[in-house]
Amino acid sequence: MMQNQIHLWAFLQGIGFFPTGWKHERARPEGVFHMDYYTRVAQLAEQGRFDAIVFGDQLQSRGAGGRAPERLAMPTLDPVTLLTAMAAVTKHIGLVATVSTTYNTAEMLAERFGTMERITGGRSGWNIVTTAHPDTAPNFGETELPPKDARYRNAVEVVARACELWAEMDREGPQLPQGRPVLVQAGQSPDGRDFAARTAEAIFCPAATIQAGVDFRTDLRSRVAGVGRSPDGVRIMPGLSCVLGGTEEEARAEHTAILDLADDALAIEYLSESLCCDLTGFDPLGQIPVDEILAKTLLPQGDVARSIVPGAEKGTPLGEFAANFMRHPRGHNVFIGTPEQMADMMIEWRDAGACDGFTLQPSYMPGGLEDFVGQVVPILQARGRLRTDYPGTTLRETLGLPAREAVTA
Amino acid sequence: MTRPFILSASVAEPAFAVPGHARAVLQAAEAAGFDLLMLGRSGERPFDAQVLVAWAAPMTSTLGVVATVPASKAHPFHVARALSAVDFLAAGRTGWSVVPEGAPAGMAEDMVGAARALWDGWGSDTLILDKESGRYLDASKVKASNYKGAFFKVAGPVNAMRPPLGHPLLVVDGDDPIAIDDADIALVSDGTAAPQATRRLIKVGADADAAMLTERFEAREIDGAHFTLSDALAELPQIGARLASLLAPRPAGDLRARLGLPIPSTASNQPGGAVIPEIA
Repeated sequence: MMQNQIHLWAFLQGIGFFPTGWKHERARPEGVFHMDYYTRVAQLAEQGRFDAIVFGDQLQSRGAGGRAPERLAMPTLDPVTLLTAMAAVTKHIGLVATVSTTYNTAEMLAERFGTMERITGGRSGWNIVTTAHPDTAPNFGETELPPKDARYRNAVEVVARACELWAEMDREGPQLPQGRPVLVQAGQSPDGRDFAARTAEAIFCPAATIQAGVDFRTDLRSRVAGVGRSPDGVRIMPGLSCVLGGTEEEARAEHTAILDLADDALAIEYLSESLCCDLTGFDPLGQIPVDEILAKTLLPQGDVARSIVPGAEKGTPLGEFAANFMRHPRGHNVFIGTPEQMADMMIEWRDAGACDGFTLQPSYMPGGLEDFVGQVVPILQARGRLRTDYPGTTLRETLGLPAREAVTA
Repeated sequence: MTRPFILSASVAEPAFAVPGHARAVLQAAEAAGFDLLMLGRSGERPFDAQVLVAWAAPMTSTLGVVATVPASKAHPFHVARALSAVDFLAAGRTGWSVVPEGAPAGMAEDMVGAARALWDGWGSDTLILDKESGRYLDASKVKASNYKGAFFKVAGPVNAMRPPLGHPLLVVDGDDPIAIDDADIALVSDGTAAPQATRRLIKVGADADAAMLTERFEAREIDGAHFTLSDALAELPQIGARLASLLAPRPAGDLRARLGLPIPSTASNQPGGAVIPEIA
């Protein structure tokens, strides 16, 4: 067993981490509608010895105020479908689908993931989320989302019931290779962290700095121990995006070039979506329309006010504010530098206890993943920090967990 | 164009959820010249067929893969998304069959109506994908469906595009029928009232007689046959060999093109499926 092995997960949502990513010359925005693209990127991630591929999910179409964005990459394809198809063209890599407990029953989830678990030969994972976007409720015949505490209570019940149903399915056969899918969580709030500590075998989080990573992992491990589980049975996988270059200067220039693919119209669509309020009709050179935003947003007004009022008080024009908002993604670790520097950084984080590995969010697809697998993976392997082959066939084995979840009575 | 004899079968073996067996069955179905393979049947769904059609998509190249969808244990928002994704990954080879399985009257029809409305919320020509101008899509082609049925109220737009087929092929089973009179395909048994559909496939067992099927096809009583399989691996090659003379070459293209089955004009607000712009 290698010391301080770095686990890698690939978050391959959309066409990359940057909202402008789809416009990059090495992005393939048409690819996300074709199987050959998914075959290529799934095999690439497997070649890079990633633990798993992850897709996020939403239960509403992107946009704000009933208007779809024109300049942001959408729509997203259903994650269970995508990942199950990717299983058919790979042998080892895990497949982690984000699915909400809010508008799915335990029975639907158990059947869906139970089938995925069987047909992938034990490579399935479920990233458990609750739905918080206000546009979602009308897609399910509701006018409002359930309150937050009720959403978490429901999540706990749904997961418990799904686990019972998987135990039944496993007994009836054909066997579920891992007993049930690997459970993954990404809760940030105290409620979310407690839920993750009781439930998850892997946890996503944002961590912009090594200290933020250490703090989060220390907190989660103590919560995991607090509920009687082994902290070593949980992988903490902060997000990591990157822009690589042959030199640091080249990487910085490439980062600037990616950001510069944005125009005011794209930035304002991005801001509109983030604030849940359509701002595309406003003059980019005019003032930030604070009163209109607070009146129309579907998000909590206090949160929205905190993000826009300081800019408005400084007199920043809307277009400039939107551009700045988009250029500074909050809480995310975006590495800019050479492949060697990136490998150094990853090893430093791992050795400092800031993570068990990283959830890579390529800056644009598939070019960003190609660069990482081609340039950073060989360095991590040469330094003995990344496996050169898979230890088994199931996701649990890949994560270094017992091959099957012990079935509790 | 030549009228194709449509060859279809259903599998409901629990082992179809196990990759080694499923791969062999898919290969056998495709090698035997089947047009459609339906996963599951009313009352016999030992797996989630919507998941298995996704796995089958890259495993096959000509076979139409049909997911049975239980009316009371699914939601049209999820179903519309899953089948849209499958249809992209299968390059337009997807079908679906809503099975009531004792659901309250009207629920299966409501499922069909809601999913169709969600797929129709996206225009065929929505995508632009122009890096130069920065326009990814034409927002005026994306509309909230605001579907309101007795069971399902779904605002939309759904975060999944109109499928390449426009709508996946809708298959109705006459033995657990739904009141939809513009389905693409009906599976009919002798002596029972047949649901309305563009094409009628007679339901038969694995040992059905080729001469009888030929005669009824030529008399235009039927448009093909649907085999209810119990041991798919053994039965598929036998059926293919016995019916080989009935199976004319298919034109290239998606499932609707291969079978000469345009979307019924009453089923959709537009005739075609999603078009993905080519990028130089």
